[in-house]
Amino acid sequence: MKIQEFFDLAKAKGVSEAQIQIKKTSSLSMSLFHHEMDNYNVNDSQNVIACGIVKGKFGSCRTEKLDETAFPFLVDGIIESAGVSEKTETAELFKGSEKYHKKNVFNKELGLVPVEKKIALLHLIEEGIFAYDKRISEVESVQYSEEEIVAEFYNSFGLKLKQKSNYFVLIGAADAKVNDEIKNSWNLFIGNDFTAFEPKPFIKKLGDRVLAKFGGAPCASNKYPTVLKNTVFSDLVGYFVGADSSEEVQKKSSFLVGKLNAPIASKKVTISEKPLTKNVFFSYFDDEGVSEYNKDIIKKGVLLTYLYNRETAKKDGVQSTGNAQWRGDKIGIGFGNIFVKGSKKTFDELISPIKEGVYITEIEGLLTGVNENSGDFSCQAQGFMIRNGKLSEPLNLITLSGNLLKIFADVKGLDDNYEITPDSITSPDAYIKETSIGGK
Amino acid sequence: MLIFACPNGGNQMISKKLAIEVLNECLATGGDYAEIYLEDTRSESIRLENGSVESSGKRESYGAGIRILNQLKSVYGFTSDLSKKSLLELAHKLAASFSGQRIITVTSVETEPVATINPIIDHLADVPAAEKIQYLKECYAITAAVDKRLVRIQDAFVDSIKNIEIFSAEGIVAKQYENSEERGRLVIVSVAAQNGGIESYFIGPGHFAGWSWFTKVLDYKGIAKKCGEKAVMLLSAQECPSGRFPVVITNGWGGVIFHEACGHSLEATATAKHLSVFSDSIGKQIAAPIVSAFDDGTMPNEWGSNNIDSEGHLTQKNQLIKDGVCVGFLVDKFNGRRLNMSANGCSRRESYRYEPTSRMSNTYIAPGKDKPEDIIRDTKLGIFVANFGGGSVNPTTGEFNFSASEAYIIRDGKICEPVKGCTLIGSGKEVLMNIDRVGDDVGLGEGICGSASGSIPVNVGQPTIRLKEITVGGRGGKLQ
Repeated sequence: MKIQEFFDLAKAKGVSEAQIQIKKTSSLSMSLFHHEMDNYNVNDSQNVIACGIVKGKFGSCRTEKLDETAFPFLVDGIIESAGVSEKTETAELFKGSEKYHKKNVFNKELGLVPVEKKIALLHLIEEGIFAYDKRISEVESVQYSEEEIVAEFYNSFGLKLKQKSNYFVLIGAADAKVNDEIKNSWNLFIGNDFTAFEPKPFIKKLGDRVLAKFGGAPCASNKYPTVLKNTVFSDLVGYFVGADSSEEVQKKSSFLVGKLNAPIASKKVTISEKPLTKNVFFSYFDDEGVSEYNKDIIKKGVLLTYLYNRETAKKDGVQSTGNAQWRGDKIGIGFGNIFVKGSKKTFDELISPIKEGVYITEIEGLLTGVNENSGDFSCQAQGFMIRNGKLSEPLNLITLSGNLLKIFADVKGLDDNYEITPDSITSPDAYIKETSIGGK
Repeated sequence: MLIFACPNGGNQMISKKLAIEVLNECLATGGDYAEIYLEDTRSESIRLENGSVESSGKRESYGAGIRILNQLKSVYGFTSDLSKKSLLELAHKLAASFSGQRIITVTSVETEPVATINPIIDHLADVPAAEKIQYLKECYAITAAVDKRLVRIQDAFVDSIKNIEIFSAEGIVAKQYENSEERGRLVIVSVAAQNGGIESYFIGPGHFAGWSWFTKVLDYKGIAKKCGEKAVMLLSAQECPSGRFPVVITNGWGGVIFHEACGHSLEATATAKHLSVFSDSIGKQIAAPIVSAFDDGTMPNEWGSNNIDSEGHLTQKNQLIKDGVCVGFLVDKFNGRRLNMSANGCSRRESYRYEPTSRMSNTYIAPGKDKPEDIIRDTKLGIFVANFGGGSVNPTTGEFNFSASEAYIIRDGKICEPVKGCTLIGSGKEVLMNIDRVGDDVGLGEGICGSASGSIPVNVGQPTIRLKEITVGGRGGKLQ
């Protein structure tokens, strides 16, 4: 299909400006169970999302059916969608940024690694996990997945953008059993350089993680000084940055309303968005075609900016921050490659002043346990007690409750122990003055 | 009279001849089962912000998923290109992962009739956008009239019609199934703000039904009013206390606790590999004797119902627990092989992009003998959960969590002040044995369940129940 035919059809039917994005994905995934390949998946798929302006109104439509019916379906869909819009502002598409910071993040070597080598790696990991400790009772799964994505962006002003990327993910999940007590955990690696993966540390981390959980029990319900493991703090950071959406702020649905340029967190907190970081989450244009750039969101506790697309930026009289992202049928706000600045302290130094506290290593249920409007949250948690500056007995089946604004205001320290999550948030461990822990 | 599903007006997405070619390509290397799942889904949505249309759109999901089983191995692939070349290439690529000799050659296809147990007369796709907008505006006006502290009200209507065709073969005669699923959902979110505090409330009734259900059966006016009232009420709610105490859970959507605490752990996805806390539980007492539970995909027009499952099996009413004893699992074709059990109509998937597996449909605790008001009256000090936001479970350990979006303190047998920020946690084994009262007021509530084969519509359900003790998390200190 020639993209120009889409623009010609759109113009002929009265769509004054149009945009079309095509995403082609090829993927492979496979998993082992009991030394046998029990699952092998491959796919090649495409999806298209198009939008346009009809008499000053914005409309959109999507399809995965790329035959001769696709362009008429998309154009008619745009017209129908624009026809019912009741937005009062005149909509317009973006002509293009002056400069784009394109980088090559595609690693062609990944696709050239023979499948047999990837399968052999899975066997190696599975055997390594079983052999790690006698208490390991089951390897639930070891899974390898890889994906190659080509994202293309075109608009009727002649703007053409393209990004090709690939990555692989290795996941291991294991159970350990002592008498009737069963524990499980997992580990994950994401990257696009197959040679950079080291099985031994991966296996050790998983094994240590699951074995450390034995004997876990609830502590007494109370308020405790709390250290959040980097990945746990990242989860909270994700919701905090989500509340920085200018759309949520403009619609009075965010706890960050009226907080721009105000101190909203401890001076120890600096959070940046760096979409141009050369990793698997790299992105150089957003869903309106605006050039993305690195920026501080919170610097030394002060909120420096909301995240904008063009529509919300216009309302506030500022420029888009390159954070446009499709949300259903409209272009909303999103983010990627978030970095939380740490310190030179080690983890041991971070927890050393805590006489009695908790170290939270995993949380569950945040998806439904966060009130994104107020910032209140409550979720299931596990971890360890901290006694006299050192990790002590394991904790299980406790709850962690708090308010995001309060948590970020109460950050007493961060360490040098960074980890990146699949949500593209990189954070160190964080020491919080106190949180509410529910247990016995 | 039975009505038969006939999606696409009888137009096949691929010919029987091509289906035979693809199935035979799949089976060339020793596979003992092959399946082609073809899907053409059209969905529409309209969203209002504070009474004005903010966005709307159509989308078409279209493609095929191909699966080959060879004893206890499964290979799966999907494509959005349904050309002969693409399907044969995918089948060849998948078959190449086996290296045996062909044991099945498909020679013909027989069409299996699919009875419509979810009849729809007034299709949602035929309702003009203007009529849906008017409906949403009526909802908005009702919510907005509740209180001036409501700063944001979102009303949306989302509907989809999914037409599928399945070709499956485990012998020389392949079977063909056609099915159509049509669902709609009304979503209302209200946000209330006062003195720097912001609270929200969500209601999202959905049904496998036509337009008249939403306009004539559903009390949408009452729902719109409730959504506004609850958001405002939460502005004055105190923080929930923490600790262990009795909790009474409302009927209907309260059943999410059973869905998470027990339902997922009874899916063959977890039990077949002995990865579930309930893997060896058939015939064993896993719940209090007053608890019986079912998963029923045959309930006419319910949100989680279907005519057939994603493998072509007729949906069933499956009893999972009888008088506290585990009597069954939810079993799909592949995991049934490990369990040596037959599939029981519960294999589901979000779309052709997902390999199917055992999933819940409409899952509920059966009614007991208690009156809900008696259960409250007999509780001296505890929590009454009137609504949940949702939850999750670790099937291996059985540990679960739920967030209550509406909860109250029970004092001396009466429902008193509202509390917010309430989380319940525990283990499935513990919570099922801790149910000490079961009401007679069973109801269902609609949700979206995310798991191995994607996000699918499910109903959860139960009568009012009481847990004699469970861990509650919140910031409100001790319950006094």
